[in-house]
Amino acid sequence: MELGLLRLAIALYLAGTVAALVGIAVRQDLPRTLLPRLLWAGFVAHGLSIAVRSWTAGHLAVTTFDEALSFLALLLMAVFLVVQVRRPLVALGAVVSPLAFGLTLAADAVYHGARPLAPALDSAWLPVHVVLSVLGDAVFALAFSASLLYLVQERRLKARRAPAALRYLPSLETLDRVNYRCLVWGLILLTLGIVSGIVWAHTAWRFWSSEPKLVLSLVIWGIYVVLLQGRMTAGWRGRWAATLTIAGFAVIVLSLVGVNVLGLGNHGKAF
Amino acid sequence: MERGIVLVGLNHRTAPVEVRERVAFANGRLEPSLRRLIAVAGVAEGAILSTCNRVEVVACGPDPAALGAALPGFLAGEHGVPEPALAGHLYTHGDREAVRHLFRVAASLDSMVVGEPQILGQMKEQYAAAAAAGASGQILHRCFHRSFSVAKRIRRETGIAERAVSIGSAAVELSRGIFDRLVDKRALLLGAGTMGELTARQLLAQGVGSVMVANRTFDRAIDVARALSAMPVPWDRLARYLPLADLVIAAASGEEFLLQRPAVEAAMRERRHRPMFLIDLAVPRALDPAVNQLDNVYLYDIDDLEGVVAQNRGARAREAVKAETIVDAEVEAFWRWFTSLDVVPTIVALRERVEAIRRCEVERSLAALGPLDPRQRETIERLTQAIVNKVLHAPLTALRRHRADPAEAFYVEAARRLFRLGRGASEAGSDEDVDPDDEDA
Repeated sequence: MELGLLRLAIALYLAGTVAALVGIAVRQDLPRTLLPRLLWAGFVAHGLSIAVRSWTAGHLAVTTFDEALSFLALLLMAVFLVVQVRRPLVALGAVVSPLAFGLTLAADAVYHGARPLAPALDSAWLPVHVVLSVLGDAVFALAFSASLLYLVQERRLKARRAPAALRYLPSLETLDRVNYRCLVWGLILLTLGIVSGIVWAHTAWRFWSSEPKLVLSLVIWGIYVVLLQGRMTAGWRGRWAATLTIAGFAVIVLSLVGVNVLGLGNHGKAF
Repeated sequence: MERGIVLVGLNHRTAPVEVRERVAFANGRLEPSLRRLIAVAGVAEGAILSTCNRVEVVACGPDPAALGAALPGFLAGEHGVPEPALAGHLYTHGDREAVRHLFRVAASLDSMVVGEPQILGQMKEQYAAAAAAGASGQILHRCFHRSFSVAKRIRRETGIAERAVSIGSAAVELSRGIFDRLVDKRALLLGAGTMGELTARQLLAQGVGSVMVANRTFDRAIDVARALSAMPVPWDRLARYLPLADLVIAAASGEEFLLQRPAVEAAMRERRHRPMFLIDLAVPRALDPAVNQLDNVYLYDIDDLEGVVAQNRGARAREAVKAETIVDAEVEAFWRWFTSLDVVPTIVALRERVEAIRRCEVERSLAALGPLDPRQRETIERLTQAIVNKVLHAPLTALRRHRADPAEAFYVEAARRLFRLGRGASEAGSDEDVDPDDEDA
């Protein structure tokens, strides 16, 4: 049941990817109106899949690697769908949909099925800490997508021989603004995620200094704080801001994958 | 064919401006000309289309050949031009080709700049004049309204009007890649020459919030600024105003670059690196090309803009091919409706329809009555035929009487609708579906 729903979501995200790519290449309205519908449908199927799994497991299904990937994809999609309600950004969909597609596909590939919860994780802090942290990652993933588009658009405009195929990209101003807003929200969520993790660890283990994920998170936090500081005081924007955003997200991905593959600390079992 | 549509005219391809201006109709002065047009022998309906790029007369009447011969004389006579002076410049389209021509003109496929939007508005306005003067009738009404919706369909389904094909609009198009909106942007015009003023006007028309004008002679800057309701800026204080500008249009050149890289670099620092879009229209160039290497600075010179324009023209030409197939289909649909307006086929269809009803009912009754002798059968046949003939007498007489006169199309259309004859009328679109969006002009 949950796996079927997950695969339905994967298929819909793939369809969304195709619609978004067609949408930025041609002028027809159809793919553009189709995109949010496909993604909403995928999001609902995906959410149901995770709900079913959480119901059977008896806790929020975010404690294995595949659950983590799937949950990140869900929240990324949620953030994108919320952002695009106010303003349809097909081009952003063209980056976000393949990301969600890839993440859910990976989740399907490493699918293990429900596993009993380690007693240490059985806490009310689990959903709080995980939702905050993963939502932060999702917001940064959106910032990453906007930055990627920014670099493409910037290159196109600098080259002064505007290739026609990319005429439907959003303006630099729009992309830079998405980047900035995501940066602020991502940083707030990341901060709350780290703090909740520390508090949780403190109540559960009274000792948490040997958690590699925490160190990596602080590095990521540092990168984004520097970037936000630069934006607010030194007028960093545009290409430089986009490049730093992408670098920060690269560290997020490295920490997500690295900690899990190497099985480091408490997060090694899931995140 | 009892009736035809003829279009006679000249346009920017067939006639130079010296000829076009001699036969152009002044916009407010169309009505008397339209009255004279329908007074021309053989003209049942007429309309005139006159813009700076074309002058065309469309007429509808029973004898297309005679119309084709009379219209050039009308055009020449209206303007006191000897008819032979127009001879080499006029084209004449008949029937389907006339309809196709109108559709293409409305969709701006025949324009100097393919896809330009003004022609449709001009056509609507001038058709309205023809309708108001009572010159157009049912056929031209349908033909023009169809052409308007064809134009809209083409605009919707192809990219024909999408891309910038002038320097000014190319600049606007490019600026949309940088800026989200232009309302809150400020432009700085360097050099208050004609070119600069034109571009500034275009930017203002596209919604740029405000404009500053700088010129070597300050008085000229003040004049242009007044005309644009812009702000004049002294030439020697440029460095102070440059950081305020989101768009810079340079249209004056000199011995050396007006703006060197360090000046722009300083301005960018002061505006905290908010993007700046510089357009260099001057030849020789007025802005240091090295400026483009700065982050968040985008510099386009006249060649770059012309490159964009050329690319867009090519893209429009490709879209025009799609548009032509739409026109083809629409012309065919219109033509099916138009030919269905003939009296003779309508009479035939009407007879066939009623006869079919009679047959059907007679057979039903005969079956119900059981076995009858031949005389009884014949009585029933004769009775029903008599009813049919009496009922049909008045409509058929009316149709015959109005054959080949201006009211013909009206009667035919009415008969076709009342008796639901054939598909010709409904396929070209009945009045309900002529155009839901027709009235929005």
